[in-house]
Amino acid sequence: MSMPLDDDQIEIIQEFATESRDMIEQLEPAIIELGQNSEPETINSIFRLFHSMKGSAGFLEFDHMTRVAHAAENLLDMIRNGEIELVSNHVTLLCAACDFAKEALDMVESDYNDDAMVAPADDISEKLHQAIELAKDSGEPQAEEAKEDATTKKEDPIIQASPSAAEDDFPQLEITDEMRLSFVQEGNELLQNMEQGLLSWGENQDDKEFIGDIFRNIHSFKGNCGFFGFSEIEKISHQMENILDRVKSGSKLAVDNPADQLLASLDVLQQAVNNISDGKDDRVENFAQHVSDLQILIAPLLGDFLVEEGVQEQAIFHAVETQKKPVGEILVQQESASTEQVNSALKKQQDNINKTKAAAKPVARTKTSAKRQDIRVELGKLDSLINLIGELVIAENMLIHNPDLKGLQLENFNKAGQHMSKLVRELQEMAMTIRMIPVSGLFRRMIRLVHDISVKAGKKVELELIGEDTEMDKTVIETITDPLVHLLRNSLDHGLEPPDERLAAGKDEKGTVKLSARHEEGEVWVTIEDNGRGLNKEKILEKAISKGLIEGDGSDLTDKQINNMIFAPGFSTAATITDISGRGVGMDVVKKNLEKIKGKIDIYSTPGQGSKIILRIPLTLAIIDGMIVRVGTATCIVPTLSMLEAFRPVMDQITITPDGDELAQVRDNFLPIVRLHEILGKKPDSHDLADGILIVLESQESRFCLFIDEILGQQQTVIKGLSDFIGNVPGVSGCTILGDGGVCLILDVGTLVDSAESKKLKFEDQKNNI
Amino acid sequence: MAENTTLSNFEDEDTQKDKYLTFHLAGEDYGIEIQYVIEIIGIQNITDVPDMPAFIRGVINLRGKVVPIMDVRARFGMPDRAYDDRTCIIVVNIDTTEVGLVVDEVSEVADIPENNVEPAPRTSKKHGDSYIQGMGKINKEVKILLDVHKLLFSGEMQELAASLEE
Repeated sequence: MSMPLDDDQIEIIQEFATESRDMIEQLEPAIIELGQNSEPETINSIFRLFHSMKGSAGFLEFDHMTRVAHAAENLLDMIRNGEIELVSNHVTLLCAACDFAKEALDMVESDYNDDAMVAPADDISEKLHQAIELAKDSGEPQAEEAKEDATTKKEDPIIQASPSAAEDDFPQLEITDEMRLSFVQEGNELLQNMEQGLLSWGENQDDKEFIGDIFRNIHSFKGNCGFFGFSEIEKISHQMENILDRVKSGSKLAVDNPADQLLASLDVLQQAVNNISDGKDDRVENFAQHVSDLQILIAPLLGDFLVEEGVQEQAIFHAVETQKKPVGEILVQQESASTEQVNSALKKQQDNINKTKAAAKPVARTKTSAKRQDIRVELGKLDSLINLIGELVIAENMLIHNPDLKGLQLENFNKAGQHMSKLVRELQEMAMTIRMIPVSGLFRRMIRLVHDISVKAGKKVELELIGEDTEMDKTVIETITDPLVHLLRNSLDHGLEPPDERLAAGKDEKGTVKLSARHEEGEVWVTIEDNGRGLNKEKILEKAISKGLIEGDGSDLTDKQINNMIFAPGFSTAATITDISGRGVGMDVVKKNLEKIKGKIDIYSTPGQGSKIILRIPLTLAIIDGMIVRVGTATCIVPTLSMLEAFRPVMDQITITPDGDELAQVRDNFLPIVRLHEILGKKPDSHDLADGILIVLESQESRFCLFIDEILGQQQTVIKGLSDFIGNVPGVSGCTILGDGGVCLILDVGTLVDSAESKKLKFEDQKNNI
Repeated sequence: MAENTTLSNFEDEDTQKDKYLTFHLAGEDYGIEIQYVIEIIGIQNITDVPDMPAFIRGVINLRGKVVPIMDVRARFGMPDRAYDDRTCIIVVNIDTTEVGLVVDEVSEVADIPENNVEPAPRTSKKHGDSYIQGMGKINKEVKILLDVHKLLFSGEMQELAASLEE
C-alpha cells in the first residue's frame, strides 16, 4: 500500500470514497429504521449496502474497512436468517460501524489508505463479533453452524467465508464488462417486452398470443442468465416459464390471474438486472421466497392426488394420455379407481387450490423502473456552465437591446431575436434545475441525529419528514445542513420535555418533531416544528437584560422581537451546558448561514405547546425578475416578487410626522416612505413626492413605499455579487449587468423594510400617546 | 482571466521580477509591481455604490465581471481632477480580488533592479506614506513604488471589513 499511486488509482479511490459516503448516507436511516421495525426489506437493504462497501473496499485493499464491513455483514446475516435476535445494542453497533467507515473514508481521502485505522477497526469488529457470540449463546442452538462460520472468519477475516458471499465470486469469473453490458441491455429489453405482454394479457386473458410472446421472452432471458451463471434469476425465470407453460396448455393455476404475481417477479428480475448493471452480483433478496411464491401458483396435478388415493400410476398416465374427458371420469370408467376415490381426490384438489389461493396473497407491486441514468459531474464544471449561461443572458440582452438598432425596421431580426430569447430562457431554467437536488438526502441524515440525541437525552421522539422531494440548490442544502442540526438539537434538548414531564402535562409520552420542506411565495420553507414546551419568554428576557442586550425591562418588546433574541451570539438560557447544546453558539450559526443565502428565519412559539421555526430560503440565488427604476441619474433594480403596486401619490395621501418622517396612506394602511435618492445619495428629478412614483414593497409581512422618479421597465436579471472587496452594502443585495453593459444595483427590500419599520413604529407610538 | 493567472503563476519569475508599471498622479511618478497588473483600460461609466468611502468610486462591468473601482487620488487625499481621455483604470489582482485603480495617466513598464530601490522615507507625517514600498531610481528620475496590498486593504478598507465582521 505504500507504493506511490498514479492518477488513475487516486481517481478510483476518490470515486470509491464518494460512493461509499452515499452508501453510508443511506445506511444510517435504514439502520435506525431497523431498530424500530425489523422488516426483512430493511435488513436486506442494509446488508446489501455493507456488502457493496465490503466489495469495493476489498478491491482497493482497504483491509480494515473490509474487515469491519464484513463483521457487520456477519451480524446482519445472522439476524436475517433468524439465528439471533435483533437487540438495540446491535443498532448502536451498526451505527458505530458507519461512523468508523466515515472516519476511514476521511483517512482514505487524505492518505489513500486506511492503515491508520487498525485500532478502531479491531475494536469495532471485535465488538460486532462479541455481539454475535453473545446473541448466539442466548439464542437457539441452531446457530452452531454459524458459530463455526464466524470463528473461521475471525482467523482470516478477509477471506469471504460466508457461503452466500463466496457464491457470487464464481459466476463473474470470465465475464467481461462488455458482456455484462450487453446482457443488461438485452435483459432490460426482454423484461420490458414481457411487462407489456403481461399487462395486455392481464386485460385480455383469452388471448393466447400474448402468452406465446411472453413465454419466448422469458425463455431467452433464462437462457442468457444461464450462460452468465446468474443462477438465482435463472431459477426465478425458470419458474415463471413453468407457469406460462401451464397457462399455454390451458391447465389450472392456483390463482385466477397469475399476471400480477408474474409482474411482481418481473420486478424482482428487473431489480437484479439493475444490480448487475451496477456491477453488483445477481443475488436476489428473498430468493427462496420468490421461488416458492411462484411454485404456489402451479396447482398440483390431479394425478398426484390420485396416487395418494391408491390409484395405479400407470393407469393415471394412460388416462392422461387419452385425456378427452375429465381424468376422474375416465378412471372410473376404466374401473381403475372407485368413484369415491375420484371424488375425494377432486375435493382435495379443490381444497388445495383454495388454500393456495389464500396463500398467494395479492402481491403488492413495487414498481422498479429501468434504472435512471446518472453521471457524476464535478461541481466546478457545473458552476462554470451556469456562469456562462448567465453571461449568455446578458449578451443576449445587449444584442437585442443594442442601441445601434434603435429606430430601425427589423422585422426578421426581431423574430429571430424573440426566438433566441426563448431558447436562452429555457436554457437558463434548465441550467438552474441541474443544480437542484431533493432535500431527502439532508432530511434522512437527520434521522440518525435525532436517534442519537434522543438516546443521549433520554427522550422519546418521533421524527416526521414531510416534503422530502422538494428540490433546492445544492449549495443551499449544504449551507442549511448545520443550521438544521442545531435547530433539531435545540428542539430535542430544550424543546421536548422528558417522558415523565410530558405525561404530567397531559401529552403523549413520545414527542414529535416535524421536519418539512415546501414551496411558498417563491421561496422554499424548511420548517422545524416540535410539540414540546415552547420558548420560555421570561427566561429569554431575563438573560437578555442581564447580558445588556436590551434596555429597560423589555415590556415594550413584541413576542417576535423577544424570540429573535435567541439568535444573539453566546445567548443561551440553558442553566447547564450539556454535550448536546447549551453553549449558545448554535443559533448564531443558524443566523449566519441563513444570511449567507439571503434566507430569513421566523420563530413561532406557544408556551406549553411547542415551537415552530421556519427557514425561508430564496428559490434561486442566481436569477430574479426585476423592475428597473430610476432616480436622478441612477438606475436600480427592485425584485418584482416583493413589489405589490405602484402609484403616483397625491398630496392628500401623505402625512408628515412631527419627526419629519413621511407616511403614505394606501387604502386603510399608513405606510412609511423611503426615499431611494437618500439611500443612493443621488439628486432626484424632484423632491416633491407628487412628481414621482411610490412603489409599495413587501418583505416579511411588513410593507413600505419606495419613492422613485420613474419605472423604466422589467427584466430578468442575473444576480452578481458586488466584489468581496466592497463587501455587504446596506440596502443593496447585489448587482447585475444591463443591456447597455452598465452595472445596476439590486435593492435589498429586506434591509430597507427594517429602516422603514422603525419609522412606522415611532409614528404609531405618537398616535397612541395623543 | 484564465490566461492571466497562468501568466503570473507560471511564467518564469525572472521576466516579471523588478518590472514596474509606472503611472502619473498629480505630477509625480508612481510604480506598482507588474505581477499584480491584469490589464489597463480607459475610463468607463462607473456605477455608484452607496455607503462607501469616498475613494471607492463604484463598480464597473469588465466583460461580465463586476469590478470595484478605487480612485488613487482620493485614496491619497489629493484634490479631485476631472477624468479625461488620458485617465486610465489599472486592473490589479491580489489573491483573486480584482480592483480597478483610477490614475491620471499610465506611462510605461520600467525595469528597476533591487539595488536601485531605496527604502521608503519615514520622515513624512502624511498617512500616504504607509502605502509606499520604496523609492525606485531610474537614472535621475524617482518613482514612488506602491505596495499594492496596503493600497487595497489598509486603513479605511480594513475598518470597513472589520465593521462588516461585526
